[in-house]
Amino acid sequence: MIERYRASAGIMLAPAVTLIGIFILLPMLLTVWLSFQDWSTQTPFASASFIGLDNFREIFGPTSIGRDFKGALANTAIYTALSVILILPLSVAFGLMVYQHDVAGGTALRTVLFSTYMVPMIAVALVWSKLYAPGEGPLNQMLGLLGIGPQPFLSSPRSALISIVFLNVWQQVGYFTVLAIAGLTQIPGSLYEAAKLDGANRFEQFRFITLPLMRRTLLFSAVIAIINAVQVFEPVALITQGGPVGSTNVLTYHIRRVGIERAQGGLGSAMAVMLMLSLIVVVCALFALANRKDRE
Amino acid sequence: MSFAWTSKLALVASLALLPATGWAQSVNIYYLTHWSPETVALLEAAAKDYAKANPDVSVTVRAVPFGDLLTTLRSQGGGSDGPTIGGIYDLWLPELARDKLVAPAPDTVAEEVKGAWPAGVVSAASVGGKLYGIPNEIDVYALNYNKALFKQAGIAAAPKTWDEFREAAKKLTNKDAGQQGFGMINSWAAGVVHPFASLLVSNGGELVKDGKPALDSKQAAETFQLYEDLIKSGASVPAMATADANTTGPFLDNFVSGKTGMIIMANWWESALKAGMGDKFADIATAPIPIGPSGDKPHSISYSWMTVVNANAGQAEQKAAWDFLAWLNNPKSGKNGASAMSDILMSMGILPSRSSDIEAHKDKLGSEFLSGYVSVLADAKPFPVVPGGQEFSESLQQTLEALQYGQVSAKDAQATAQADATSILERAAK
Repeated sequence: MIERYRASAGIMLAPAVTLIGIFILLPMLLTVWLSFQDWSTQTPFASASFIGLDNFREIFGPTSIGRDFKGALANTAIYTALSVILILPLSVAFGLMVYQHDVAGGTALRTVLFSTYMVPMIAVALVWSKLYAPGEGPLNQMLGLLGIGPQPFLSSPRSALISIVFLNVWQQVGYFTVLAIAGLTQIPGSLYEAAKLDGANRFEQFRFITLPLMRRTLLFSAVIAIINAVQVFEPVALITQGGPVGSTNVLTYHIRRVGIERAQGGLGSAMAVMLMLSLIVVVCALFALANRKDRE
Repeated sequence: MSFAWTSKLALVASLALLPATGWAQSVNIYYLTHWSPETVALLEAAAKDYAKANPDVSVTVRAVPFGDLLTTLRSQGGGSDGPTIGGIYDLWLPELARDKLVAPAPDTVAEEVKGAWPAGVVSAASVGGKLYGIPNEIDVYALNYNKALFKQAGIAAAPKTWDEFREAAKKLTNKDAGQQGFGMINSWAAGVVHPFASLLVSNGGELVKDGKPALDSKQAAETFQLYEDLIKSGASVPAMATADANTTGPFLDNFVSGKTGMIIMANWWESALKAGMGDKFADIATAPIPIGPSGDKPHSISYSWMTVVNANAGQAEQKAAWDFLAWLNNPKSGKNGASAMSDILMSMGILPSRSSDIEAHKDKLGSEFLSGYVSVLADAKPFPVVPGGQEFSESLQQTLEALQYGQVSAKDAQATAQADATSILERAAK
């Protein structure tokens, strides 16, 4: 009986497992294999030759390849950290605002917030590149009204990456607000009523009820925000081309330049493997931290 | 012959011709370029003219931003459904030929090109003695300056030496008015490297000599130092120098709006200047690159573009593509003895490279703006076309941008540029 059950389970799982194997696991394994090869992306896989860890030595080495890769890795880490640090608190703040039933215009605000997520990145990039325009750009004109001199935004290596982060936050915060609202709806109203009876003020209710009970939602939001941020590509390709001085050269854009434009498939694969490993480490660390908190 | 027999013969003849007709109508050529919509419209019009005599061939033009052109060629050129024809920058050719993405030109085309184009241009379109593309445009760098700003600053003529250049840049700088003397470019490899290379060759130096980087020379040291001096004196403002994926952006905006006194750029941006400046385009003049302390006469950098055919396209498509390109570049396809390709190029202010086209467009090439470029062409040095050239260019771009933003000194920039170039070119040559 159990054997028949196992056989039928196997048959039913086979299509999904096969598809996952072909379209997810196989490309991942292929990328890992290619990272140990000297291979041009324009030639068949058969032309790849095994070079051990040379690609990894190169991307962490002192030459321009190593410098560019390490720079791109650092830029991606900064971009991701800033995006998550800004998006999560803002999404909770907006979620709380929108979730309050007694606030007028809550539904309209929810619609406005989510609409930014639906705008295609090409349109966002075009609009923001004009907003950030030095001198005559609307943002600089507004700053001028406040008595602040023109800011270089995308034209300075100090501010270009942060400017791209703001663009990302603007576009993504609506989506994460919706997630936060979903988390808020899971908190029983009776807990707030009990807290009120015990004399807890709004801040204490937020600190001791809302935040702890939203931990799972926030964990999910953080993981999704990290994955989204690590995959940033379009604003860099459309607006800054990785510049100035490589200050917005993020890993996905750099891998495209190395792997496709220069056809250095082995090096590009080694970079992709490092990106994948970094992402796995960060997400696992996040889950481990959340589990430890749960146990406490 | 009875009606029945006539009908049968007609049917057999129709059936016999059907496959040929079907084959003939199925040849579609896909032409990939980075040109603007206006220029693409001119190319489409030329394709329509070609179709009048060749109704069996249809040409579809697709344009992508310059920043995406090489990636598109590499990612789509590996298959038969990719672009049949691609417009490419000569620096990309050695690696595209090595990776067998581009087809060698048929003998008839090669013979025609070798006889009708200058030898240097033919050499830039060849790898290992084999011709891979039909050259079309040639671009050369020169100093563009704003005569109105020169007049305001009390400068009588374009600078001829680096000392005069420094002096003019200083006089043209007005921080309060947000005006810089000399405009550099960043965030675009060719835009960063070519003006630097033009100053370098005008100082008697070279980027690459006998296949090896030559950035450790005295002439290169002086050129890096010139950049550092211009930045430190405030005569060049890096924040005014950024470019976007379409090779436009603040560097162009600042020049057309009269906030940049001088800039080193190639002839092809004439159309962008005209579009941005309108009547004020008359204020723009062209002069040779100022001579450095170690230079003997003005030199600058030139590079060429060509059209290549996808080596992975079907035989019929390749044949049709070469036929179309031969027609497009033939003196009979355009007006007054010019090729249709040269008419398209001249609409953008780009110099055609075919000798007969230069002759046919003599009048327009004599305009105040373009004649300055034509005059420096003879002494221009081709940008080195070597394997790894694009990576070398991008690496030098990073170093020069770091120098522009004060992240490294001229001395460190020179050492880094030479070390990086050595490692890149050695690896690419393997």
